[in-house]
Amino acid sequence: MSANYQPIKRMTLFMRLNHWVVFFSMIAAVITGLYIGHPYYQTLISEPAAYKFVMAWNRAIHFYAAIIFDVSSIVIAYLYFFSRFDKPIKKLIPTKQNLVEFWEVFVNLVTLNRVKRFDSSHEDSFHVVYFTIFHLLLAWMLLTGLQLYVLGLESGMSSIGKWWPTLLHLATDWTVPVCGGTKMDVRYVHHMTMYFILVWIMFHIYYVVWRTIFWREGDIAIVFGGYKFKRVKK
Amino acid sequence: MNREHLRSLFTTKSARVDTNKGEEYYNSLYKRCRARLDELKKITPMRNIDIAQVLEDEGISRRDFLKWASATTAMLMLPASFTPLVAEAAELMNRIPVIWIELQDCAGNSEAFIRADGPKVDEIILEIISLEFHETLMAPAGHQAEAQLHDAVEHFRGKYLLFVEGAIPVGRGREWCTIGASGETFEEHLTKLANDAAAIVAVGTCATFGGVPAAAPNPTGAVGVMDVVNNKPIINIPACPANPANMVGVILHYVLTGQIPELDSLLRPKFAFGYRIHDNCERRAHFDAGEFVEEWGDEGAKNNFCLYKMGCKGPMTFNNCSIVRYNESVNWPIGAGHGCIGCSEPGFWDKYAYERPMADANIKMAPNGGVEKSVDQFGLALLTAAGVGIAIHAAASAIGGKKEGEEK
Repeated sequence: MSANYQPIKRMTLFMRLNHWVVFFSMIAAVITGLYIGHPYYQTLISEPAAYKFVMAWNRAIHFYAAIIFDVSSIVIAYLYFFSRFDKPIKKLIPTKQNLVEFWEVFVNLVTLNRVKRFDSSHEDSFHVVYFTIFHLLLAWMLLTGLQLYVLGLESGMSSIGKWWPTLLHLATDWTVPVCGGTKMDVRYVHHMTMYFILVWIMFHIYYVVWRTIFWREGDIAIVFGGYKFKRVKK
Repeated sequence: MNREHLRSLFTTKSARVDTNKGEEYYNSLYKRCRARLDELKKITPMRNIDIAQVLEDEGISRRDFLKWASATTAMLMLPASFTPLVAEAAELMNRIPVIWIELQDCAGNSEAFIRADGPKVDEIILEIISLEFHETLMAPAGHQAEAQLHDAVEHFRGKYLLFVEGAIPVGRGREWCTIGASGETFEEHLTKLANDAAAIVAVGTCATFGGVPAAAPNPTGAVGVMDVVNNKPIINIPACPANPANMVGVILHYVLTGQIPELDSLLRPKFAFGYRIHDNCERRAHFDAGEFVEEWGDEGAKNNFCLYKMGCKGPMTFNNCSIVRYNESVNWPIGAGHGCIGCSEPGFWDKYAYERPMADANIKMAPNGGVEKSVDQFGLALLTAAGVGIAIHAAASAIGGKKEGEEK
């Protein structure tokens, strides 16, 4: 059987750049976050404390990664509604069409691609829901992380002004009662959410590879070149 | 969670420490304090003690006393111009009646309060307050003690400060803990005395958040004062034991202004609990440098390295012990080489008091206890489960999957 392949644009340059920025931020945040929770490498270096900032650098990198993440999340949240390329929100509304598509893509996955009753060339509802879960996990990480961060700004001041800790308190203080009533609970939850994000990533990578192998439409190329392919029968 | 006070977490006001409220504010506060002290002076003291004489007898000079007054003024976050007022307020402290009750406690806060060895200004000041009732310290017992308490309440109705030490059992242990010949439960005892108090000072972590009696599995159903009393102003002075400097601070503030100090969302006075241990810790440089004590007595311990890896909870704990310290600034836990155990935070016994880094804390995997695992153990189990699931799907796909365009 011969087929012609028609390229289909799935990610803009900005979306791809964002993906890789998030990718590197994530790795940095996980490595430094685990260190902050339990410093796991050697510390007895024969140099005075004044000259090395092992924990301070870990925290700095963690915060930089986090703030890049936060800004990216806000932009992505905006694009969900206002993207000129593809508005993911359209696939998130529980219309009959979206529910059917979600179900069909799920069926496709569990039947090992033996049943495929949807158009796989465009973004589908299942995938959008899966990504929305990711963004919600990130938002939760953002809120709990900033709550832990603002603990150190008790004077109500910061290098960029009073508005910053004020905003953080307004935006994140509610996470304390929600997590269980103490600041330590917020820390547990922040740590645990990381594992849910790692599980999310495991499946994300697996699913993209699986689709590439079984759908044979070059799905894995999307995040590099922006395009996948659609078969057009001659 | 069930504390309605947590609602105030939604306000930024609860977390922010404002150390400078502007000249106008302090000028009007000064005037109010002046008027209040003049008012108090007219009252005949309950115990006729001359503080100058007491201090002299204890070998403390007027100069030492004034040094203490300026330190206390700074602790209360008041401008230096308030120092004479604070000194005067200390002299008038015997005008304020105090009733001290003990519930589920170890009397550790009473111990901190009387500080048997070598009394310093804080402790002496506490000795001259008009302590009308204190089960451990007073001579009467049984019916006589009850009569004494009754008299004190009758005499100072609506005027006394009620100091509460110890948790209140409201669960299964409600009937186990009774007090006096009439067999009042702790809850009844507290509620009765709270109704006639001007304000309540919950001293120590047991009285504030339940503390050790409330630690899992909390057999008696212990809670703090703020979970039982809701019709009176409550000031929480947690820590195990509470620092006498903070008790004096609260009483002084009340004498001086007639009001309770500014509180955070957990009803702790901000002057004492506004700052994090970690941010004023003398070992903070070693934290930032990544220099940690790895085990007790190692090279790092000898060099005063950071105790974070030995379980120090300074980064999560709000208290002023890194500034005020204990026993007249002699030392404090971290200075003595042990990490902070977060004793002034809610749920400290279960959530803070262990000698492991925070990431290795045991968490309850079921709502009512059961298996305890660290977050990392839970996370690795989660990752393993996901990996197994993916492996099964991958193997099944490799064997039975259908690739697009393939004929099967």
